[in-house]
Amino acid sequence: MELPAQQFRTKAEQAYLDMFEGARKALPGARDPFVSGLRSKAIETYARLGLPHRRIEAWKYTDLRARLTDVHPLLSAVGVPVGEADLAQALAAAVAGLPSYRLVMVEGDLRADLSDISGLKAAGVEVVSLAQALEKPPSWLKAVLGKVNPRDDDPVLALNTALMTGGAALRVREGVTLDKPIHLVQLDGTGEPASTVTRNVVVAQPGSSITVAESFGSLGIRGLQRNAVTELLVGDKAAIRHVKIEREGDDALHLSTWLVELGADARYDAFQFSIGAAVIRNQVYARFAGEGSALDISGAFLMRGRQHCDTTLLVEHAVPRCTSRELFKGVLDGEARGVFQGKIIVSPGAQKTDGKQMAGALLLSETAEFDSKPELEIFADDVVCGHGSTSGQIDEDLLFYLEARGIPEAQARALLIQAFVGEAFERVEDEGLRNAFAAASAEWLSVRLD
Amino acid sequence: MLEIKNLHVNVDGREILKGLDLTLPAGEVHAIMGPNGSGKSTLAYVLAGKQDYEVTAGSVTWKGEDLLAMAPSERAAAGVFLAFQYPMEIPGVATMTFLRTAVNAVRKARGEPELSTPDFLRLVREKAKLLKIDPEMLKRPLNVGFSGGEKKRNEILQMALLEPALCVLDETDSGLDIDAVRIVAEGVNALRSPDRAMLVITHYQRLLDYIVPDRVHVLSDGRVARSGGAELALELEESGYAEFGEATRGEAKSGAAA
Repeated sequence: MELPAQQFRTKAEQAYLDMFEGARKALPGARDPFVSGLRSKAIETYARLGLPHRRIEAWKYTDLRARLTDVHPLLSAVGVPVGEADLAQALAAAVAGLPSYRLVMVEGDLRADLSDISGLKAAGVEVVSLAQALEKPPSWLKAVLGKVNPRDDDPVLALNTALMTGGAALRVREGVTLDKPIHLVQLDGTGEPASTVTRNVVVAQPGSSITVAESFGSLGIRGLQRNAVTELLVGDKAAIRHVKIEREGDDALHLSTWLVELGADARYDAFQFSIGAAVIRNQVYARFAGEGSALDISGAFLMRGRQHCDTTLLVEHAVPRCTSRELFKGVLDGEARGVFQGKIIVSPGAQKTDGKQMAGALLLSETAEFDSKPELEIFADDVVCGHGSTSGQIDEDLLFYLEARGIPEAQARALLIQAFVGEAFERVEDEGLRNAFAAASAEWLSVRLD
Repeated sequence: MLEIKNLHVNVDGREILKGLDLTLPAGEVHAIMGPNGSGKSTLAYVLAGKQDYEVTAGSVTWKGEDLLAMAPSERAAAGVFLAFQYPMEIPGVATMTFLRTAVNAVRKARGEPELSTPDFLRLVREKAKLLKIDPEMLKRPLNVGFSGGEKKRNEILQMALLEPALCVLDETDSGLDIDAVRIVAEGVNALRSPDRAMLVITHYQRLLDYIVPDRVHVLSDGRVARSGGAELALELEESGYAEFGEATRGEAKSGAAA
């Protein structure tokens, strides 16, 4: 249902409009008609929709309008000194040291000194800093920016387009297979609370095969408000393995939107690992545009205190013979809340679609909560679609079995929790990443053991 | 070594053990037999420390200490081992990881140094071979997709690795064919020693052909109704449990007290 233009605006809603007005002349690409056109259209969309709230079905469990009372000023890159030690501190050593082609963005700015740009170029990947590229976008970027599985009904995405200031754009040459992951690191600020709006664009040309890891951390900033968008175009017979690791401090707001489009006989395997931030919204819009393709979007989240993690997926089977799989596993302690909304749309004519999703949560306290809402909209008749959801406590019989073997209770519980999320980690092909997730969850659990 | 006195236990508000007495000296193997519902498995679980088994009266003393005051993991560290009738399946925990965590937890609690990876692997391989366990099986998630025989052999492997002083075997023969019973029994017999006591709980006499007990106790209605030597098991094989109230499962009939 289309909502009427909003008459009343909250303080935060107005603050974003003011932020745009104040910054528009200084935003990257302000003098480029293509970029300023994109931004103007996006801010109009935002002005029409306002911030999403609980009466919008897709935001039913995450009332952003109510939660967001203060909008922090837009962060601008000031050249914060960052070294390896800061990276390890912000991301956890296992993540920072991941064998990869690393691209580090500090406050949106692609930092040549911390990045392996030349290695990536030599391997067959074009790399540009988005902030620079927006000033005069190359034609290949113009062809995709804002055009990958586009939407005009998402105010968070619209705000990102209007205000994006940094990030990286990558194009993988046809047929190139990379020997190690591309690691996009986004680190933000020290000091005063701020907003950061970044976008990464990844184009995998036909027949190429890459792993992209995106990690988000902070350098001790308080109250970071992040709006991050990643556009991924998976060309015909191309494959992208995509991983996101989020760890930003317990008062951060993390809004993430992935826009994914797959060509024919393509493959997309994604994994989201969420452990930090006060409020996390992970939304993924994926669309099959070519036949014979497959995707797997899975993830794990470990939340405690009053943390909130919302995973909202929309997978569109627009063409026949495609397969989609989703598996999300969450561990919720304290008063934490997990949300999973998974929607699969099978268009008329998208025969031989095979779609399955599963979400499960382990509740470690009486006050933790998990809301799961699968939705199937099927307009074709020759399809196989299914979904499932579980939520429960640690199985006391399993616990007793471990204790009876001499494993103390707290350690036995930790082992069972790790086993629970470990099932989701199995979906990640890269062993280094799998180990990094296991190490991060062990660290999370060690807090419980103390 | 193990001294059970006047043990009363409620499960879900119903009294299952009603004044059980039992003394198990070091080095001896005692069999616990009895009809279904007589309290055999309850005894096993109470010794291992399962929650929701409420001890309303009596005592269990293990090497002079109050066993009932210990947490389950402390009992394991103190040398108590229960081989489960239905071993748990735990997806996501590799069998090898589980074995190593258990061995090192027990060693730590006993004040012994943890085993290094090569030492541990050597130990597991040696013990697994005796039980005809394929090392490949140990890479799989704990008990997931294991056959009945594999699960029971895995229990005995754990027993061999943890080197307990009291082994409680709960219906270890149930669901096994005769070849599997023989392998498991050989594994158990290899662990018989002068400083190790065993409590072999079984409904059928069959297992006792392979693990010959020093004493046999027949449980009926939550108490030891009769005790004797190994020949008592053979006698029961002939006569069945009719005398011990097989038909009165769950009812408080006193006919068995004879």
